Amino acid sequence: MSASPAAAVEDLVIRLTNFLAANLEGASGIRIDNVAPITAGNARQAWEFDVRWLDGGKERKVSCVMLRKAQAGQLETDLAPEFRIVSALWNSGVPVARALWMDGEGRWLERPSFIVEKVAGATDFLALLKPEAAAERSRALAEQLALVAARLHTVDWKKLAVDFLPATTPETAAAQQISYWEALFLKHRMEPHPIMVAAFIWLKEHRPIARRISIVHGDFRFGNFLYEGDRINAMLDWEMVHLGDPAEDIAWAYRSLWGPQAFLSLDKFVKRYTELSGITVDPETLLFYRLLGEVKHSIISLTGARSFMDGRTRNLFLADRASTTASYLMQFLDWLPE
Amino acid sequence: MTKPSIADLLDGVATSLRESVLPEIPAGPTRRQIQAAISIIRRASLVWDKTGPYLYADNKDIEETLQQACSMLERAESTSSDAELKPLRQRLHAALDRRCDPDVAYPSPAALGARNVELQALLVELQQALHGPSSSESSGRLVSAEWTEIAAMLRGLFRRMLQRELQVSTPPSARK
Repeated sequence: MSASPAAAVEDLVIRLTNFLAANLEGASGIRIDNVAPITAGNARQAWEFDVRWLDGGKERKVSCVMLRKAQAGQLETDLAPEFRIVSALWNSGVPVARALWMDGEGRWLERPSFIVEKVAGATDFLALLKPEAAAERSRALAEQLALVAARLHTVDWKKLAVDFLPATTPETAAAQQISYWEALFLKHRMEPHPIMVAAFIWLKEHRPIARRISIVHGDFRFGNFLYEGDRINAMLDWEMVHLGDPAEDIAWAYRSLWGPQAFLSLDKFVKRYTELSGITVDPETLLFYRLLGEVKHSIISLTGARSFMDGRTRNLFLADRASTTASYLMQFLDWLPE
Repeated sequence: MTKPSIADLLDGVATSLRESVLPEIPAGPTRRQIQAAISIIRRASLVWDKTGPYLYADNKDIEETLQQACSMLERAESTSSDAELKPLRQRLHAALDRRCDPDVAYPSPAALGARNVELQALLVELQQALHGPSSSESSGRLVSAEWTEIAAMLRGLFRRMLQRELQVSTPPSARK
């Protein structure tokens, strides 16, 4: 039986206080206030809180967000790469929250967790994509997203400490993604799924060679950034970050489920992105990654459904996720070249 | 007993949860879980009686397609030196001969589901055999007309399978 909300908060305050006492050198009088759970997708549990402490007699205060690995979910990824990429990208021109502390093993905070400075803004992408949404704002945010993509994909990652990301080459980038997702599919499928098998066969036979290798966010889309008005304040949810073909992020951003195509067409997005980054996007490569995106989301859904079926999560949002794969795979077939 | 049907019951439960329980629960994770539960119950109420017909139609379509594939493989065997074609075709034939018990007029959804999984596995096997590592080495393998024909046939089958699945997986309001 899970603890009551008040008991959970009390427990978390004690854990956070002990954790920060061990990590804030020379700090005294650590105080945690305003602890509250916030929504952060299915892969992470998130809490916000304020921390105050005395540093050489001077009071310091930081508003924080703690991201904790969920017990089980759609994708069970390690937290460390997420924390480390956000740390590495601070001051790179890519908008990210400032990474503060990590408890990678969950020694202090019960489960693997990390803490970032709170960034103002909303994530609600449904409000942006509704037909009655303020079209100018949605369009401006889509253009901002092109700018963020341009900045991320032109970061000189060889100069950043990103050796925790698996190495790749233009020749192997697509194959590595296929292998990653196929392994998850084979691990989590609950039936043979011949259509998914067919999709993987096609992807393997048509994998493109990347024109360049960039840091790829991996879940780059509306819904995964904090915005205020028409400004993106921070990109969130870096749990699928990897080195790869930058076309992958553009393809994912324009999936029909969350893409801003009603306000800025994919062609215009790509044009703007190319102007800003100097990176040209090969249409066939983009199509390949759009097709991979449908497969990817199908597998994320299957993984979530499997976690629920195995009793590793009781999150009802995941229970019926497998039923969404038919529409993604139909999109795959619709886009498949003759 | 025909009334209340399973659909009536599930629909009633979903309505009660939405109208009586949900308003009592403040915004937050618990409320969102109840909303998710209502959606699942609602979907179950819409499709509970469609599962049998869906699986029956799916199995029939897959069996017919695999029968056609068998004929094509047989045709290919006569012109190909590939020794793997015959055992593959024989495995398909054997599986297709093991249809649901003909003495049972109305197979249960569970029996239809088990057969569906068996047929899905055959489709996987067929594709893997046609695309396997040895396929490019085998002289006269189905690079020819037969393979093009089987590939087109499978693509058509997959589209029909997804169309059927969408009928039972997507609420009518969400269908394109």
